[in-house]
Amino acid sequence: MFNKNTVAAGVAAFASVALAAGCAVADGNKADDVDITAMSAEELAEHLIFETNSWRDQEMQEGGGWRDRMTQDEIQKACSFDSTRNDLDGETAGKVVALAREQYQAPEGDIELGDWRKGAELADSGYGYRIGHNVDDHGTREQGGNCYNCHVMDSSVSVQGTIGPNLENYGAQRGDSQEIRQYVHQVISNPHQYFPCGEMPRFQGLLTEEQISHIMAYLLDPESPVNNR
Amino acid sequence: MAVGVAGTAAQAEWQDPNDVLQKLLEAQPDSKYLHQSEMNIMMMPDNPALWLLDDGERLFYEERGPNNASLESCDFGKGEGVLDGAYVELPRYFEDTGKVMDFEMRLVHCMKEIQGFTDDDSAVSQRHGSGSDIMRLTTYIAHQSSGYAWNPPLDHPKEKAMRDAGEVLFFRRGGAMDFNCAACHGSSGKQIRASVLPEMRNSQEWTKAVSWPAHRAGQDNVRSQNHRIRGCVWQMRHAGILPDTPVNTALISYWNDAARGEPAILPDLKR
Repeated sequence: MFNKNTVAAGVAAFASVALAAGCAVADGNKADDVDITAMSAEELAEHLIFETNSWRDQEMQEGGGWRDRMTQDEIQKACSFDSTRNDLDGETAGKVVALAREQYQAPEGDIELGDWRKGAELADSGYGYRIGHNVDDHGTREQGGNCYNCHVMDSSVSVQGTIGPNLENYGAQRGDSQEIRQYVHQVISNPHQYFPCGEMPRFQGLLTEEQISHIMAYLLDPESPVNNR
Repeated sequence: MAVGVAGTAAQAEWQDPNDVLQKLLEAQPDSKYLHQSEMNIMMMPDNPALWLLDDGERLFYEERGPNNASLESCDFGKGEGVLDGAYVELPRYFEDTGKVMDFEMRLVHCMKEIQGFTDDDSAVSQRHGSGSDIMRLTTYIAHQSSGYAWNPPLDHPKEKAMRDAGEVLFFRRGGAMDFNCAACHGSSGKQIRASVLPEMRNSQEWTKAVSWPAHRAGQDNVRSQNHRIRGCVWQMRHAGILPDTPVNTALISYWNDAARGEPAILPDLKR
């Protein structure tokens, strides 16, 4: 599941800020609160997120509350830079790849593909994990893969995003060996192993292994429409 | 990308929102974002958001609330009751509250302090939808700044602090899917599904992006900057954001600063 830091770590990091300002409770709504000009921009951003009652008190779909959802893990921290302005430096890239490999859980034995028809539905579905004024209820509808938000896969499907690469004929061009299956499983599960600080979410933990096997079938099965474009 | 329409940067006089849009379209003929909806461009002179103006004006000058007072004594930063160009100079620091406030936060503050409304009154509790007082007032007040260049002040240290924190928040990766704002707004001409996304470094795309209130054709309602933040945060799988909170203010400080110098389209029409 989620490889998040503990809540305690998040609280500890900001307790020092609040103490330094000599104030136990900071709701951000009064002038006599903490001195926001005494903080770095990074400290203030964390202060605003964690100490100003800015979030709804709800239970997240994965368990835990808003504080768990908003607490960064090491990969999120390392990738919180302006990647449109600064190229990823080698040290950060190496660190993120190492963290991602550490998080990744490889399947045991040979990887079997699921049902590409189910994969097509999952790829098309943008449901799941949204919270706030509307809550995605995983009890009534399964979470999807969001693939079409960012990728063209089967161009006969209505509308498709372009943030990620075009994946038409993905399997037709690469085959369906165990090596390819392992690679695709790694990329879907934790893409930072190959694309450190890329935009794609880590789906291991967000989707079940069975769901991932269906999406892999959609990409790699010779019968899938993705491979017959 | 191009920065600033030649000769129109730092515009300080009112312009019709459709005229502002047409100039941006001419200045950026290749912007997929600006040109994505021919229908909306065509509809702009008849923008349904304009229907809210009369109601908003009436609500502004009417003596309302438990205190039976109008909003004419509300200071949006340029003096009591001064609306011309006020919207594009927010968020800003307000001496009377000691904090940086975005537009909606300030409007609600005035409705409570001057008119005596409380959180239980629908006048302030209902934030969204064309039928809400807040959206009618927002559209009327923002319209008085149409064509003015975005120019949020950064002179006060707290204004600078909130803008800089907003920049950090814009790039902060988090939530269930590791997104930051830049994942969608960092490069030009990209799409999520059918929506072409604005890039925050292209100030002429960005001024349209942050030009709320806007009628959202797909939702058939006029929406605010705060509503846009709520929707983004929801899609990003962060936690559920609450209104009147400084995370909103910091993000809007960064947004409006990123559109600095470009004229605002108020109200706008979006997909």
